[in-house]
Amino acid sequence: MNGALPTASTHLSFWTASRRVFDLSLGEMLWSRRTIFMALVVGGPVILAIVVRVLEMFGMPALRLNGQRVGGVGVFGVVIWMLFLRFIIPILGVFYGTALMADEVEDKTITYLFTRPVPRGAVLVGKYLAYLACTGLVVLPSVMLVYFLLVRVNEIAGTFVQLLTDLALLALGLAVYGAVFAFVGAFFKRPLIIGLVFIGGWEQTVMALPGYMKRFTVAYYLQALVPHAMPTEGVVSLLQGMFRDTPPIAVSLTWLTVYVILFLYLAARTVERKEYVLEQ
Amino acid sequence: MSKKTRYFVLTAATILTVGLTTGLVASYMGMGVAFSKAAGPDELQYVPADAAVVAYANVRDVMNSNFRERFRKLEPDTQERDEFQQKTGVNIEEDINSVVAAMIPGAGNVVVAPGGPEGASEGGVLILARGRFEQSRLEALALEHGGKAEEYGGKRLLTHVKDSGDPDMAVGFLEADLIALGSYSAIKKSIDAGRGNNIVSNTELMRQVNELDGSNAWAVGRFDAIAKSAHLPSELQAQIPTIQWFSAAGHVNGGLSGVVKAEAKDDASGQNLRDMIRGFLALAKMQAGSKPEMKAMVDALQLSGEGKSVTLSFEVPSEIFDVLEQMGAQHLKR
Repeated sequence: MNGALPTASTHLSFWTASRRVFDLSLGEMLWSRRTIFMALVVGGPVILAIVVRVLEMFGMPALRLNGQRVGGVGVFGVVIWMLFLRFIIPILGVFYGTALMADEVEDKTITYLFTRPVPRGAVLVGKYLAYLACTGLVVLPSVMLVYFLLVRVNEIAGTFVQLLTDLALLALGLAVYGAVFAFVGAFFKRPLIIGLVFIGGWEQTVMALPGYMKRFTVAYYLQALVPHAMPTEGVVSLLQGMFRDTPPIAVSLTWLTVYVILFLYLAARTVERKEYVLEQ
Repeated sequence: MSKKTRYFVLTAATILTVGLTTGLVASYMGMGVAFSKAAGPDELQYVPADAAVVAYANVRDVMNSNFRERFRKLEPDTQERDEFQQKTGVNIEEDINSVVAAMIPGAGNVVVAPGGPEGASEGGVLILARGRFEQSRLEALALEHGGKAEEYGGKRLLTHVKDSGDPDMAVGFLEADLIALGSYSAIKKSIDAGRGNNIVSNTELMRQVNELDGSNAWAVGRFDAIAKSAHLPSELQAQIPTIQWFSAAGHVNGGLSGVVKAEAKDDASGQNLRDMIRGFLALAKMQAGSKPEMKAMVDALQLSGEGKSVTLSFEVPSEIFDVLEQMGAQHLKR
C-alpha cells in the first residue's frame, strides 16, 4: 500500500478513513485483471443487443415466442432476467465481494492496511464502496446501451420507468450480493468456492423447490422486484415459475436492505476481530 | 484518483446521464408521439384523434399469401366483382395495396330515432384505401348517379345526397393514391385530421399500435367502443367495464398466426380476465379431446400476460388447413 493512507501520528474518523480506502481501492479495482473478466461478462449483452438490432434492421425477428415475434422491449426484459439478474449480478458479487479482504490476505498486503491508524472496519467499508462504484460504473452504462440498442425510440416513453426500475434493481442486487460475499470473503477461508456454491447451487435449487427455504436467498427478494415477465424457457425457469410465490415489494425491499446492513456489519465486525494469519 | 480512473468514471457517468436525460425527455416531451408515425402506416395521419378503433390490413401481402391462394377456389362467383371493376376501374385484388379503417364516435349520419335524442349522430366508419384509382372515372360515375362534387380543405369530395337533401356517403381524394370512404362528416373529419390533430397524437392508442408492428393485419381500439357493436358472450360482457384496450394482430402467410391482447384497468382485473380465459381454454381443450383436427388448433392457443395485460396468441400452421380442406371436400361429396 502507498502513502495515501494516514501515518501513525494522524487519526481519522470511520467515514473519512472509509473514503480514503475507497479512493485508493477504486483505481486498483478498475484496472485489475478482474475488470477484464467483468468487461467480457458485461460486454456479452451489448454484443447480443447489437446482433438483435442488426437482425431487426434486416426485418428478421431475433426472438420468437409461441410463433409471435418478440419486440425490442421483450428482448430487453429477457436480457435483464436471464443475463443480468440471474448471472451477471450474482457472479460479479461473488468475484468482487469475496476478494475484498481475501485478495489482501492472499497478496500478504493486509498487514500494511492494518498497521495504519484507521479502524479495520473502515477498510472493509471503503473497499465495499469501491466495489459498488466499480461494478456500478460498468454494469449500469452497459444496461443503458443494451436498452437503447434494443428499444425503439417510440417505445422509450412507455418503458422508461421500467428502465429506471431495472437500473435501481441491478444496483440493489450488486449492493446485496456484494455485502453478503464481503462477509463470506472476510469470514471463510475458501470464499470463492463457497460463493459459487451459494449462487450456482443453493439459490438455484431452493428457488426451484416449494417451501419457505427460498426466503434464505437473495434471488427470492430480488426477482420479486423485476418489472418484466419471467421467461419460461428451460426446465429450471418453468419450475421456478410454478413454485413462484412473490413477496410484496415492501417486504422484498425491507429484507434486501436488512441483508445489506446486516452482512456489511458482520463483515466489518469480522475484519475488526479476526486474526489474519498469513501463510508463508 | 488517477487520471485514467477519472476518465473512466467520467465516461461511464456521461453514458448514464445521456441515457437518463434522453429517457426523461422522451417521457415528458412526447418524443414517443413524435416518433410513433414510424410504427403505423402513413394513412394514420388522416385518422381523427378521437377514433375509438383503428384497423389496418396490408391487402397486397394477404392477396399474395399462400393462405389466400388456398381459399381462392372456394370464393364465390366473380361476376359482381367484374361488374364493379368495369364501372369503377378498380380491381380489388390488384389495385389496392392497403386499407385502414377507423370507427369515429359522432361522425356518422344524423339520426332521428324514436325516443332518442333528436339529431344525435351515430358513430361513423372511415375507410382509407391506398392503391391505384382513376379519379376522373370515379367522379363521372358518381355524378351520373346523382352524386355531388365539392372541394373541402383543398381536397376533392364526391357525395351521395339523400332524398331529403342531406349528404349521405362520401368519397374523398386525399392523395393521388389514397382515397377515403365513409359518412360525409367522417370524410371531412379525416381531411381536417390531415392538417394536424390526428390519431398519431393519441399517445395511448399509438402505444397499442407500436406493439403490433410487423403484422400484416391488426386492429386496436377502446374496448367499450368494440363491445357496443359486437354481440359478446354474457361472461365477457360482465368484464367489459374492467377492460380498457383491445388489440388483435395477425400475420397471414402459408398459415395464420396472431395475437389478441386486452388491457384491463388494473392488475386485479387483469388477473380475473386471465383466469376466465384460462377456464374457457380448459373447456375448449376438453371438448376438442375427441376431435384430433380441432385439438391441434386448441393446443395452438397460448395464454400469457402479466399485470394489466392479457395476451392470447395462436398459430394455425398450413397443415391444419390441409385437414380443413379435406373435411370440406368430404362434406361437399356427401
